[in-house]
Amino acid sequence: MMFHMTGNRIVFPAVLLAALLLSSAASGATPSDLPTFKAVVLPILAENCLMCHGQEPRQGGLDLQSAAALLKGGESGPAIVAGSPDRSLIMEKLVSGQMPPGEARLSPEDIDRIRRWIERSAPKETGLAADGKGAAHSGLPAVTEKDVLPIFQVRCVACHGKRRQEAGLDLRTRASRLNGGRSGPAVVPGNPDRSPIIRKIESGEMPPVEMQLANSVRPPTAAELQLLRRWIAAGAPPDPPVAAAAAANGGPAVTEKDRKFWSFQPPGRPPVPEVRSQQFVRTPVDAFLLEKLEARGLSFSPPASRLQLLRRAYLDLVGMPPSAAEVKSYLQDEEPDAYERMIERLLSSKHYGERWGRYWLDLAGYSDSEGFGAHDRFRPYAWRYRDYVIRSFNRDKPYSQFLMEQIAGDELADYRKENVTPELIDRLAATGFLRTTPDPTDAPERGFIAERMNIIADEIEVLTSAVMGLTVKCARCHDHKYDPISQRDYYRLSAILQTSYDPYEWLPPRKRRIPIGLEREKAEVAAHNRPLKDEIRSLEKGLLQEAAPFVDTLLEERLADLPEALRRELRALAHTPQDYEDGELSRKFLVARELDQDESSEVRRYLAGKFKKTLQIGLADLNRRFPGFAPKTESLRKQLDEVKGKLRQEPYVRALMDTGGRPSTTFLLKRGNHLSPGDAVTPGVPAVLTNGVIPYRVDPLKHGQDSSGRRLALARWLTQPGHPLTSRVMVNQVWLRHFGRGLVPSPSNFGQSGEAPTHPELLDWLATEFVRRGWSIKALHRIMMTSTAYRQTSRIAPEVLERDPENVLLSRMRRGRMDAEALYDSILKVTGRLDPRPFGPADPLETRPNKEVVATGSKAGFRRSIYTQQRRYDPVSLLEAYDMPRMTPNCVERENSTVATQALHMMNGTTVWEHSRYMAGRIIDRVGYDPKRQILHAYLKALSREPTEWELERSRAALEQFADHWTSRLRDDRNPTPVHWAAQWRALSSLCHTLLNSAEFSFVD
Amino acid sequence: MRRQSPRKPEPRAKAASLAGSPRLSRRELFARSGSLLYGTALASILGKELFPPDPLLASGGESYDLRPRTPHFDPKAKAVIHLFMNGGPSQVDLFDPKPLLRKYAGTVPNRDLTSDITSPTQSGGLLPSPYSFSRHGQSGMELSELLPHLATQVDDIALIRSMYGAHFNHEPAIFFMQTGRTVATRPSVGAWVAYGLGTENQNLPAYVVLDDPKGLPVNGIANWQSAWLPPVYQGTRFRAEGPPVLNLDPRPEWPDSLAKAQRSLLQDLDRAHRRERPHEPYLEGRIASYELAARMQLAASDALDLSRETEQTREMYGLNREETASYGKRCLMARRLVERGVRFVQLYIESQIWDAHSDLDKMLRYSCGKTDRPVAALLTDLKQRGLLDSTLVVWGGEFGRLPLSQTQASGVAGRDHGPSGFSVWMAGGGVKGGTTYGATDEFGHKAVENRVSVHDFHATILHQLGMNFRDLAYERHGLHERLTDQFPARVVSEVLA
Repeated sequence: MMFHMTGNRIVFPAVLLAALLLSSAASGATPSDLPTFKAVVLPILAENCLMCHGQEPRQGGLDLQSAAALLKGGESGPAIVAGSPDRSLIMEKLVSGQMPPGEARLSPEDIDRIRRWIERSAPKETGLAADGKGAAHSGLPAVTEKDVLPIFQVRCVACHGKRRQEAGLDLRTRASRLNGGRSGPAVVPGNPDRSPIIRKIESGEMPPVEMQLANSVRPPTAAELQLLRRWIAAGAPPDPPVAAAAAANGGPAVTEKDRKFWSFQPPGRPPVPEVRSQQFVRTPVDAFLLEKLEARGLSFSPPASRLQLLRRAYLDLVGMPPSAAEVKSYLQDEEPDAYERMIERLLSSKHYGERWGRYWLDLAGYSDSEGFGAHDRFRPYAWRYRDYVIRSFNRDKPYSQFLMEQIAGDELADYRKENVTPELIDRLAATGFLRTTPDPTDAPERGFIAERMNIIADEIEVLTSAVMGLTVKCARCHDHKYDPISQRDYYRLSAILQTSYDPYEWLPPRKRRIPIGLEREKAEVAAHNRPLKDEIRSLEKGLLQEAAPFVDTLLEERLADLPEALRRELRALAHTPQDYEDGELSRKFLVARELDQDESSEVRRYLAGKFKKTLQIGLADLNRRFPGFAPKTESLRKQLDEVKGKLRQEPYVRALMDTGGRPSTTFLLKRGNHLSPGDAVTPGVPAVLTNGVIPYRVDPLKHGQDSSGRRLALARWLTQPGHPLTSRVMVNQVWLRHFGRGLVPSPSNFGQSGEAPTHPELLDWLATEFVRRGWSIKALHRIMMTSTAYRQTSRIAPEVLERDPENVLLSRMRRGRMDAEALYDSILKVTGRLDPRPFGPADPLETRPNKEVVATGSKAGFRRSIYTQQRRYDPVSLLEAYDMPRMTPNCVERENSTVATQALHMMNGTTVWEHSRYMAGRIIDRVGYDPKRQILHAYLKALSREPTEWELERSRAALEQFADHWTSRLRDDRNPTPVHWAAQWRALSSLCHTLLNSAEFSFVD
Repeated sequence: MRRQSPRKPEPRAKAASLAGSPRLSRRELFARSGSLLYGTALASILGKELFPPDPLLASGGESYDLRPRTPHFDPKAKAVIHLFMNGGPSQVDLFDPKPLLRKYAGTVPNRDLTSDITSPTQSGGLLPSPYSFSRHGQSGMELSELLPHLATQVDDIALIRSMYGAHFNHEPAIFFMQTGRTVATRPSVGAWVAYGLGTENQNLPAYVVLDDPKGLPVNGIANWQSAWLPPVYQGTRFRAEGPPVLNLDPRPEWPDSLAKAQRSLLQDLDRAHRRERPHEPYLEGRIASYELAARMQLAASDALDLSRETEQTREMYGLNREETASYGKRCLMARRLVERGVRFVQLYIESQIWDAHSDLDKMLRYSCGKTDRPVAALLTDLKQRGLLDSTLVVWGGEFGRLPLSQTQASGVAGRDHGPSGFSVWMAGGGVKGGTTYGATDEFGHKAVENRVSVHDFHATILHQLGMNFRDLAYERHGLHERLTDQFPARVVSEVLA
């Protein structure tokens, strides 16, 4: 391996390269000494590589037929860095054996020949002398703005861009680079060596070592540096106008055949079919279903019993079974429309939004935590989005408006000019839809561009899988293999998000906040924090006192070598900041004063700058210098941390907002690699979706808001009535939740690789009906739930099983297991532990000594699962066991497993047992100790029905047996309460516990 | 894209055709109608005894269960023990001697060396290893003096000195090592193995995780996630102290015979319920899952009961020394689990003990002291029981360390993360013992010769288990998802016998 020693200094490759070129020139080497591409390299490549990287079409877009082509490279970037084999991609591929593919390998001798050529001859042959001159006659294409713009975006604009212009320098455009900053132009066209930008990169001055991590920036690669040099050497040319236009419009053509695929056509309005059993047609849904059933000689199964139907409807719409009183009043209602009125009652229940909002949160990938790091960082105000979703469902907000607000709530009106109202907060919180995915970038070491690109990709996945029913993920790296979704389409979608999620001038989560809240909320937080802040201040004062002598000593030590006059001056400059934010003090005990231009001399200002580091003393400095300091202050610091941990954050909205100003350029990224940019793309939507659709168009926002309007344009495009996907995808989601299987069985994939709809006409009829009824989701529930199909029994008759074995035709209702939330919430309701209060901050979780994670309840009981913290790590154990999804990044359809760990949680876990005891206590309060009445009430509560004669007998025997076991246990424990009654209570608890564990409880007929 | 083998249960080949099938497969039925099953016993009840002529079950297709499945080809290994050394063990101090570091101590000879640094401001020059290396065994493999016990086993291990990763931070690098990507959203290798092969013992989980009682590793339980693979394939934590599985035992406050009485009542109620609802396999599945839960209680307790081991064995694993007791216990548990047919056992180490940013010597002596003896004992023990041939043991972290010094506040030098070149080893399960493969550059910084990527590493593990990494696929959103994703990968056949 090649290296140069120059003391302890780091030598940069370009310098190395220059040195190398100079030495070869100086030694008088003649061209004949050097291996040439044609004589040495080409024969090797011809034998081993050119079958794939020769004639078109070339693998990976890579041509290996000339030195210039190697330098140009393919989709993964340049194949060589002239002069630097170690940095050349082709060497990595050859040495590691990745290329050629399969068993064939190049001989070590051949690899070495190529290595020597890259090192010694390539710079000359490609015409790339160190000054970049000669590019013109090297046969290489001219380097223009579009080639170097990505380098500036990736490496520089974090400090020299839209938000920050260090040294007054903006490197985003060619003009601003030529214009330069406070120290003059950054680029001298035609002269790379005299261009400050090249000098500063090569010397290692830029990007500054100490700033790289804080800004998550890495220095340019050797290949990038070469490109910059070539661009400057060529006179820093702008793009030819033709290239720019071509880039915006190109891309693989979408054929008419592609466009004709069923899901890319606007839904039609099929006529409702005539069927033989017209008496079963309650809603058009029945007619569409019967048509197919009758064709197979089938019809609907008989209706389910009223009780079964009641429980089914309750669990479907509100996610909890009916109470004994609700059962009673329903059974007493003998009017013919009792069922329909019951559905209406449930639709207007405030619990409806908690059930159906949860489904939407699955699609959005909602979580109360960031999903990274040891502590799975908490998102304190994420709940605003959850509440927005619940409220929207309860109010039956039109789905079009619901989408509009979630995709572009911040662009609907200028929120900066509005009064803070609950409605405004809701509209901004709605954009939390595209803020759900795991985001580690608060930590600078996790904030590099590759991570940012992953976040954007996750948000695109959420949007496309949930709302558009499309799988576009593969198009991040290559054109989709099965669907007509090109890589360009993918990056056009990405460009829509780029003005909010700019990968180059990134905002970490802590900066993506709109600091507004209701006065009431602010007052609450202030009241909570006030005493804590007082406490913090006094603790910090204590710490300061402890530290004072050490600080003085250290300062004097640092100043010791300076002349006395200077020392005096510096002592006066040092001070302890008083106007600190919470927590600032313990990091900095001493800093140099901030000096105003007017009131201090230039000398003092110079000193303050020059000795900034000398005058800065923090905890770390003291710990390093005085080993005794840390132990001495340990308890103080512990207290401080503890109190600070209790502080509540000021109210804010976790929103997605446009960052305004001139947008950065979005590039198609070859192979999804941000270091291999291709053509620039403009915002847009998949090109295949044009039939019957008004095209995507970005209009300037009317109210003059500094916001690109790209997302608003997307929301408008998606919510136009004839959109081929939007209504179909949502109708399918609602159907899936009611009938257990989508009309399109692959709800996130309506494309060619998805599954075809089982009832295409029904799907289209529902989709158009949905739009006709003002995108009302509740209207969909009514149509589906009042159908005969929904009211069938789930019992399977043998002949039905034979003709419709997998229930594709809906010849019966499906029987399903409650999902995690329904199970959890139902347990709370039937045991009387439900605290029905809605909304607000998520309830915390705690880990019990047995390691079970449970919600921390209050005196009022436990709130529904949707109001407990939705953590990615260590969620509520019971919910996790029952397949509550870990959002990766979202969940379009849940798994439904039956595993032994579920039984363990239900049988032996804390939650179910404690709630069972509570339930038994309530039954005893109500009916006393008569076993028959106890059993009756336990059945009514848990299973919404009375026990049969046999069940009564079996339960009574069990109660006696349980009581015996408990009696002897309590005697052994010398329980102080009267053993008899305590045993009765526990015996009934065990019975209730068994009922909650029964198959009947967790399955829905 | 068609299944290739008529055998049942079949390998997880590139499953299912892309065209929409008019009939739901069995797996789809189960997924939608509410049941994924857990256990051979159950599957056989379902498949044979209950409804033999049931067209539901004759329709083929896959169910997501843990029945043992036939691999793609004859496997060398039946089980894997993954000794995950999270934190980043230092290759130049343990496995990869670099004498040149001494010559150039304190210098930074080229820019490449500093390109990976997390904290550029703390970085110093080259730091020579304070340890001496010597040759061991018949193979003459060079190891550091910090690994005297492993040194006695070198002829059974294949050392790879040319691994390279993708990220210089723990979280993404660990995800990369576990899932093949640096993001938190993909299944871990153990989950893939459980998905591909099921497991031999239906009373124990397929994929068992033995984490350190002192605390969860970085990334917590996401380390053994199944992500979008069905949840039955995620790792199950067995705790080394107390009941190994959450809620495995009946509640302590219950009378002894209560659980049994309750189970009997539950059984009666559920059977009556089922009688009224014929042709519903998943109801049967649910009932069986309760029975399995009861059996698991016995099987798991038995598997982890180390009191049945001889004093000699306990001594060999270091159970009687404070330093080695914790890790030794888990190594011994790993052997007992593999013995009982568990497919994939993964051991973690208390948070980041290999992460020697400062105080290199102190930290390495601690971590080697804790693990060297137990790991060597595990290899010896597996071998003497004839299990080593069929058990692939894998040792390694998420990255290595830089040959440079790093100086933090404490003042005693350590090393920063080094993802560009590091060492791992494999043993047993068809691995060619005594092999040293690949090389880093003169300073132990970057893998340069016979480089092995994480995807190559994963492909090799799958290969030893009889699976082709290209064919072990799961269909999701219409994509064939694989452990190695779309990345190029190859089986590192040079380290295989």
